[in-house]
Amino acid sequence: MYSHYHSIYCILPPHMLKEIVDRGTPTQRELAVRTLRISSQFRGQRQAIMETPGLAAVVQAAGKVRKIYNADYGSTLPGRLVRSEGEPPTNDPATDEAYDGSGATYDLYQDVYGRNSIDDNGLQLDSTVHYQKGYDNAFWNGQQMVYGDGDEDLPPAEQLFNRFTIAIDVIGHELTHGVTQYEARLIYWEQPGALNESFSDVFGSLVKQRQLGQTSAQADWIIGQGLFTSNVNGVGIRSMKAPGTAYDDPVLGKDPQPAHMKDYKQVAYDNGGVHINSGIPNHAFYVTAIEMGGNAWEKAGRIWYVTLKDKLQTTSNFQAAAQLTYATAGELYGTGSLESQAVRKGWSEVGIDVGGGGQGCLAALAGLFQPPSASQK
Amino acid sequence: MRIYFERSGGFTGMLLTSSVDTDSLSEEEAVFYQSKVEESGFFDLPARLGSPDAGADRFHYRLSVETKESHHSIDFGETSAPEALAPLIERLTALARSSR
Repeated sequence: MYSHYHSIYCILPPHMLKEIVDRGTPTQRELAVRTLRISSQFRGQRQAIMETPGLAAVVQAAGKVRKIYNADYGSTLPGRLVRSEGEPPTNDPATDEAYDGSGATYDLYQDVYGRNSIDDNGLQLDSTVHYQKGYDNAFWNGQQMVYGDGDEDLPPAEQLFNRFTIAIDVIGHELTHGVTQYEARLIYWEQPGALNESFSDVFGSLVKQRQLGQTSAQADWIIGQGLFTSNVNGVGIRSMKAPGTAYDDPVLGKDPQPAHMKDYKQVAYDNGGVHINSGIPNHAFYVTAIEMGGNAWEKAGRIWYVTLKDKLQTTSNFQAAAQLTYATAGELYGTGSLESQAVRKGWSEVGIDVGGGGQGCLAALAGLFQPPSASQK
Repeated sequence: MRIYFERSGGFTGMLLTSSVDTDSLSEEEAVFYQSKVEESGFFDLPARLGSPDAGADRFHYRLSVETKESHHSIDFGETSAPEALAPLIERLTALARSSR
């Protein structure tokens, strides 16, 4: 998608590309780094690049490259660069959590699934912390991750949210939105949107479980543990183990997530309830992982990752995801394998049948563009 | 004049709402809301502003204003709110956060 820019950057001398790497927007930097890497493959240009101070590291850094920025409570992105790859901790918790969390997420994708960053091509991981005042949110803007500090602007007695970097699964969640953007490109609406959300929760939770060395049985399966202050009656934002039970608070209300298709919520807000109905595929993954036992990021995570990377389409619904994860389990671990049966059980527990016996391409294709049936609402 | 504010979406997916009736506000506050609605040309704004924000977990807003003569609602994302509406959004968000 950026190929038309290369001809422009290719005529720029290395020192100008260095300026873009240092001072450009995330997109400009990405383009400049890509151009440098391509250019460095040609002998004549390689020498000029390697002799420009600071560029050799950029070109050679095809792996984990993190940059953390500080928005200083404003809205300008990416903000002021405060920590780069390899630099020591800053002692600002949000900065260091964003650095460590994006590193742990990179490591899960690289070490377990062989994926080199968000785009599988070494894309630099940019994160901005201290975004706006009283910003109860974290988001992926299509190019980078952004984190607010919660209710830091309110008196302690009124604070409900802590800073959003406090939970490592939130960081894994946001970074995974980037992976989805480069892979299945699930549209952010109703069931495909809820799947988009669910894949982010799944890999966010797996980042946390791997970091803590927890098996699927040991994990708490809570998304956003620590985000609530002690003023809130809740353990986190969502529960993959028991959707709908993460919080029940006089001020915030009750966790609205369903755990079964019979409770699917058709709502007009939140892009058709993408953060609500994600409870259904979240729980399917949880049951699958528990059925398999061991570390969830290994087999269950691999099945979900391959499905996200190679199988799902932009408009895939829950039924398609069920059939495709089932088909993927068959391909990876064998038809009728315990892993395959675990996937079938996972979806069955949330009210979705992966299909009667057949788990080949035809069964998977059948669900691809099938609108949700009335029984699923 | 009655104003209804709703913020949805975001990582938590939680709804945040507030509403004001200028008849029950102090004169200073009522003037603030009425002037901001007027200055933004609210009733001439399209029902949906801009295109959806790129990425994921962004906030979405719905703002409705009701007078004796008219009623109008607009939907917009974090990056598509008109500059003229910013003070109104900021005040209504603060009101919603303090009253939740």
